[in-house]
Amino acid sequence: MANQTKHTKAHEEAHEHGPGRYVVIWLLLLVATITTVVTGRLDLGAANLPLAMVIATIKATLVVLFFMHLWDSEGINRLVFGVSILFVMVLMLGVFGDLFTRMPMSLPPNAPSPALEQGLNAPELEHTPESPTAPR
Amino acid sequence: MSSSDASDLGAHRDGNHADPHLAHHFDSMETQNHASRLGMWLFLGTEVLLFAGLFLGYAVNRHFYPHTFKVASHSLNLVLGTVNTVVLISSSFTVAMAYYSVKKGRNKQAAGLLGFTILCALAFLCIKAFEYQHKFQEGALPGKWFHFHEMAGMPGANMFFSVYFLSTGLHAFHVIVGMAILIWVLRRLIRGDFTRTYYIPVELGGLYWHLVDLVWIFLFPLLYLI
Amino acid sequence: MSQHADSSALAPAEARVYQEINYLNADRGVMSWLKTLDHKRIGIMYFASVLATFLLGGIFAMIVRFELTTPEPTLISANTYNRMFTLHGMVMVFLFMIPAIPGVFGNFVLPLMLGAKDVAFPRLNLLSLYVYWTGAALVLWGVINGGADTGWTFYVPYSTTTPMTLFPVLFGVFIIGFSSILTGLNFIVTVHTLRAPGITWMKMPLFVWAIYATSIIQVLATPVIGLTTLLVGIEKVGGFGLFDPGRGGDPVLMQHLFWFYSHPAVYIMVLPAMGVMSEIIAAYARKNIFGYKMIAYSSLGIAFVGFFAWGHHMFVSGQSAFDDGAFAVISMLVGVFTAIKVFNWVGTLYRGAIYVSGPFIYACGFLFFIVFGGMTGIAVATVSLDVHWHDTYFVVAHFHFIMVGAVIMAFLAAIHYWFPKMFGRMYHEGWSMVAATFIVLGFNATFIPQFLLGNAGMPRRYYMYPERFTALNVASTAGSTLLAFGFIIILIYLIWALKHGEIAGPNPWNSKGYEWRTSSPPIKENFEHTLDYPEEPHMYQEPGEEVEHVVI
Repeated sequence: MANQTKHTKAHEEAHEHGPGRYVVIWLLLLVATITTVVTGRLDLGAANLPLAMVIATIKATLVVLFFMHLWDSEGINRLVFGVSILFVMVLMLGVFGDLFTRMPMSLPPNAPSPALEQGLNAPELEHTPESPTAPR
Repeated sequence: MSSSDASDLGAHRDGNHADPHLAHHFDSMETQNHASRLGMWLFLGTEVLLFAGLFLGYAVNRHFYPHTFKVASHSLNLVLGTVNTVVLISSSFTVAMAYYSVKKGRNKQAAGLLGFTILCALAFLCIKAFEYQHKFQEGALPGKWFHFHEMAGMPGANMFFSVYFLSTGLHAFHVIVGMAILIWVLRRLIRGDFTRTYYIPVELGGLYWHLVDLVWIFLFPLLYLI
Repeated sequence: MSQHADSSALAPAEARVYQEINYLNADRGVMSWLKTLDHKRIGIMYFASVLATFLLGGIFAMIVRFELTTPEPTLISANTYNRMFTLHGMVMVFLFMIPAIPGVFGNFVLPLMLGAKDVAFPRLNLLSLYVYWTGAALVLWGVINGGADTGWTFYVPYSTTTPMTLFPVLFGVFIIGFSSILTGLNFIVTVHTLRAPGITWMKMPLFVWAIYATSIIQVLATPVIGLTTLLVGIEKVGGFGLFDPGRGGDPVLMQHLFWFYSHPAVYIMVLPAMGVMSEIIAAYARKNIFGYKMIAYSSLGIAFVGFFAWGHHMFVSGQSAFDDGAFAVISMLVGVFTAIKVFNWVGTLYRGAIYVSGPFIYACGFLFFIVFGGMTGIAVATVSLDVHWHDTYFVVAHFHFIMVGAVIMAFLAAIHYWFPKMFGRMYHEGWSMVAATFIVLGFNATFIPQFLLGNAGMPRRYYMYPERFTALNVASTAGSTLLAFGFIIILIYLIWALKHGEIAGPNPWNSKGYEWRTSSPPIKENFEHTLDYPEEPHMYQEPGEEVEHVVI
């Protein structure tokens, strides 16, 4: 043996489950899709976005863990995927750290200033779409 | 520093555990499969980061224009979007089942499931093309072509449709690539390349296809629902 | 190694055997090269490619430098000047420096260091070379036909409003990105699955650790630049407006995306350079590497922290003050990890039995440049100072200290260190020291004046400048001539050595590195047998054993 890899018996064994598992996941995904469509068009105020994201994350987790077998995959594959998600978070964090604290002057001309904005409900801004945000 | 344990270079090639699928620089199928799987996951990691940029574009512009994004998302066809979601999820399910069938040695069943997956991909693309065509007619194509009267005067409408066309376009490109991969896998499956012990291309093709599904799972609510 | 009590670091003459049938001549014909799956041949093809792009980038740099010798127009028009510095930046960053050390030496020595017969995915490896060629051809075609005058950063809105056709260039950069991703992916999988028995993680050569850390960045950051260039290209062609404030977009978002890759890209360049240095310093000090684990972990540390530092390029771009502060502090952490490495290298040199040769002079230059470049890096990462220095020659000098000072020194050192392994022949060591001296001195003469210029307020990328900056600009140009002269000497004696050099033998430096345990040049299959790896790769003495100092 010239290559050094730990023999992952777990990988071979853990796959010994029936097709039932896939069917269950598929049904769960369909249910989640219906849920997100129904709740997505209800007016839940600021809760719409987080709810939709939570449902999407659950769906994605199911796909990744069971359809893509990350549940019983080699640890390194889990690490790789985890790290890539982590760096997506880093990217988002850096950019949003900027956006939420930026001087209004350096925001795009038509964008509402974050200080005034409250989630999706920023009624006073809807009526004056053309006015550039005045620098404070 | 004499090198003891002189095992011949090509030992495994003419040795007992010869396997036609084993490359010369690996010494067991297990290691080779592990390498292929890891390579695929790394590639999927890059894909995640690739789409992250577009999701970021969405998030930033949604932050700037929350109201516009809500209105614009409601101008998309929710029924078609939902149908497409169901189509993709089901195709993801069938490709997982195809993988399972190949492992059990039921190649015919696997071929049927893969064929169904490819049909789903085609259906997805057709529906998407139909949606695109409708949006083109409305003048929602952003940039210099943008003349969407329904949302005239709303700041950021152009932004929403930029993000919409870029992200669904990139996703559709991935659907096409994924479909091509699955067709290649299906061809090899029908040719009888895969056995109970050698099925790694089915697995990797499936992984790629699941990623396409994964991206859509996030795109769908962000673009169509909220 | 039994011969290591020999009077010099060089191996005795009887050990110098040329491997007659080797990877270079095992198959013949152009097609055998173009269709090869051998990592060594792919490395050699990368070598030829990056040398060509380095020459190209160097010529552009010289044109820029000569233009700047006088405050008035000297050689070229203002527009040509803009195109020249853009070309210099683009060619050097995307075509030369990103693939340089990983593409050439990663490919050539990494599998040898792991006792493997090839990288994990040989076909993908060849594909990445072809992708690189395609992208490079597209970039060069684009700059000849359409031109690019935006600087290598493609900042919007200038890049979307310039009259030049930018799309082929942007698309070329996008394609080159894939080459980088495939290379990185291949190396990660190789390190995970193809280590020979006995080479545990903690017995991997430090160059492998460095390439591993680099590969992580390549795999995770490169897709973002791919997307960014694509978006800028679409923006340019279709005017989508994502980054255009006139349409409600955010130009700062483009800079975020750009630097999310391009800052870690600095570590794609410098981490392999650090890996090369870890190998060379131990080999030429003939002493155990000091703090192996710390060097290995700090490579990963730099790769990780490098992802959190991109905002320090945007202190004056309209980014928020909060982000400015956060990124400034995190950027300085990179200095901590770099310092760990520097201390360990110096600790290795301390009381070593130093063998002075070309690579060693580059190593000394490297240590000076990385410390100097690193310290000025801490300075420009400080928001209040950067506001003054931003877009001046101070920043130019700072990153050239890292990119040329550290990376090119390491690249040259690596060429000189592994040349005998690659081609089985030695170059003239005396000339290598002469050239190295020219380069180290010429480099200082080129860039130290630029620090002074920048501090005095000379902006970068300007075609003309006030009278009072003339003297320092002339000094800088003179230094760059010296630098160019050094490169020409190297080119001459290396080409000569290819055919007429002395036979080097399997291990001319008496190095403990695993890659030296095969013949020079290596056979096609790398090793005759599967080897044992009882010793660590940088261990020149047993614990407690004294370093053998030799008077020559």
